Amino acid sequence: MMWLTWRQFRVQTIVTSAALAVLAVLLAVTGLHLAHLYDTSGIAACQARGDCPRVTASFINAFRGSIDEVLLLVGVVVLYGAPALIGAFWGAPLIAREIEAGTLRLAWSQSVTRTRWLAVKLGLIGLAAMAAAGLLSLMITWCSGPVFQAAQHVGPDTGLSVNRLDPVLFGAHGIAPIGYAAFAFALGVTAGVLLRRTLPAMAVTLAIFAAVQLAMPLWIRSHLISPVRATSTLNMANLDTLEIGSRGHMTVLAAVDKPAAWVMSNQTITPAGQVFTGPAPQACQGQASNPQACTNAVGGLHLRQLVTYQPASRYWAFQSYETAIFLGLALALAGFCFWWIRRRRLS
Amino acid sequence: MMWLTWRQFRAQTIAAAAALAVAAIALAATGPHLTSLYATSGIPACHAHGDCGRLASDFVSQLKAGTAYALLFYIGIGLMFLAPAIIGVFWGAPLVTREIEAGTFRLAWGQSVTRTRWLAVKLCLIGLAAMAAAGLLSLMITWWASPIDRTIGIAGGSRATAFYRLDPLLFAARGITPVGYAAFAFALGVTAGVLIRRTLPAMAVTLAVFALVQIAMPSWIRPHLITPVRTAVALNTANINGLMIGNNNSMTVIGGVNEPGAWVLSNQTITQAGHVFTGPPTAACQSQTASFQACQASLGRLHLRQLLTYQPASRYWAFQWYETAIFLVLAVVLAGFCFWRIRRRRLS
Repeated sequence: MMWLTWRQFRVQTIVTSAALAVLAVLLAVTGLHLAHLYDTSGIAACQARGDCPRVTASFINAFRGSIDEVLLLVGVVVLYGAPALIGAFWGAPLIAREIEAGTLRLAWSQSVTRTRWLAVKLGLIGLAAMAAAGLLSLMITWCSGPVFQAAQHVGPDTGLSVNRLDPVLFGAHGIAPIGYAAFAFALGVTAGVLLRRTLPAMAVTLAIFAAVQLAMPLWIRSHLISPVRATSTLNMANLDTLEIGSRGHMTVLAAVDKPAAWVMSNQTITPAGQVFTGPAPQACQGQASNPQACTNAVGGLHLRQLVTYQPASRYWAFQSYETAIFLGLALALAGFCFWWIRRRRLS
Repeated sequence: MMWLTWRQFRAQTIAAAAALAVAAIALAATGPHLTSLYATSGIPACHAHGDCGRLASDFVSQLKAGTAYALLFYIGIGLMFLAPAIIGVFWGAPLVTREIEAGTFRLAWGQSVTRTRWLAVKLCLIGLAAMAAAGLLSLMITWWASPIDRTIGIAGGSRATAFYRLDPLLFAARGITPVGYAAFAFALGVTAGVLIRRTLPAMAVTLAVFALVQIAMPSWIRPHLITPVRTAVALNTANINGLMIGNNNSMTVIGGVNEPGAWVLSNQTITQAGHVFTGPPTAACQSQTASFQACQASLGRLHLRQLLTYQPASRYWAFQWYETAIFLVLAVVLAGFCFWRIRRRRLS
């Protein structure tokens, strides 16, 4: 049974190994270069010298737009695409191909039971999928390490901050990709079992997986742990936005001073607890007013800043939850496949 | 023959039409509001007031605050990159392999319709459908995103997050190039199918080759389609983008670029003798106590020059036409190869 699985799965294994090897070489070169750049940038010792913002900004500027960034982005894109491809090219044809070619009758009339047949296939190929995604994620996580380390020293208002909890980066680092790969593979197998035709099953797998990958960061992930709500007095020295619209409408927003946090909302509220929308103080209206007087007048309103965020320290908790959720979904789908395949007649 | 093509291609057409309709509804529901936000932001008239930078960054942070627009913007880019690949994989690759695998090509080619005509009708109809789908999607997304594209072009300048229309990420997702990509990807899929004769490997090969072409084009080919402009100007030390002092006395200085919307291919700082400046750092820049201004002033005394290689923003449409033409020609070449190959093939 092991041998059969390997024999039917040989081409996919070789192709994936070759792709992983190519990426590994590229990422190794990038990672070594970035580590070298980080070592020579002087960020490691910047706290003692007190020039962290300057050396960090020049490190990040050297990284931005360089070939290193491009390769790292390619790695991130590949890591997002890999589970989808695994689901479509490994998962969907696994059973649909046997049904279409009629070989299912041969396979299921051997001395091996259907359950065992499916268990070996799902187990071996599922583990291979998880291993491939995990390896790729490990390489990317190692490679981008210096950038995240440098980003810790960047002020929040420079526009240079990079954040591990950022929805785009979160899914391409750590252990979450292992869960995605397992889920995508099980999804592909389930689609194949239900639709019984390869091409539609592949298309459906891709569509559902893309929808899940969008829904997760948008609507689900931020609620896995209830976010922290922090109110503080509005820091007028650190204003991000000050907009005066028509009819005295006014928007004031201060920059968020939570390093590397995933900020979900940033509102300015009045002492009564309502969102501040105006009216703008007299000193801010009219063309002749000077900015200092306007800032002072806004400061006199005793506004408060309400920030809803997930602190950076929850990174690994989020990673574990996300991986567990997707592994759980994968197990549920696999269980459904077993149930379905046992009921099916040999027709 | 038309009817046969339609009958075999019905499910794909309906799926593509449904996806296009969903995209159209999402874009039409949010587009007018985005346009009105842009119109009231004051950016259209900002050149007269001279406050473009501030208004543009306000507009961008306003969009980022309401997640829907930023998200739709990125989904739009992703969709434009994926659509041709999906067309190649799901429309192109199975076109011939499905008939070979199921054995139905013997039936199809044993009719009164010649093989050439059989392939010609299929390639033309489905190829045109692919180009139309990609073109429509690109038209919708280009229209929807035009306020954002214009704003981030202004917000650009020295900011590290600048986006501009010639940026490889935006270029391939706007305008007419997606039409060329779709035609190429479809022809590539059919060719892979004709050569490999099995659906799944043909699909995988199509995807891999198309991804490689999409990476190779902006990295190595597009910059050289038109000879880039090279200028050397005195380095403006007040506008320095990066300054790094390494150990063993090396120093890198990168000047800011003041070419709005240009695609900067290289930005080097050279000495008066014409070599790339690598150090040694000036005393004021190395010292722990001297201010950054002193470092800037000491750099100014070195009389460094900035050597820029770039494609100006005005060449945008020239690049779009070249790129579309290249991919259309590649598609025609691949289609020609398919005809030649399919005529030679025995009915075995």
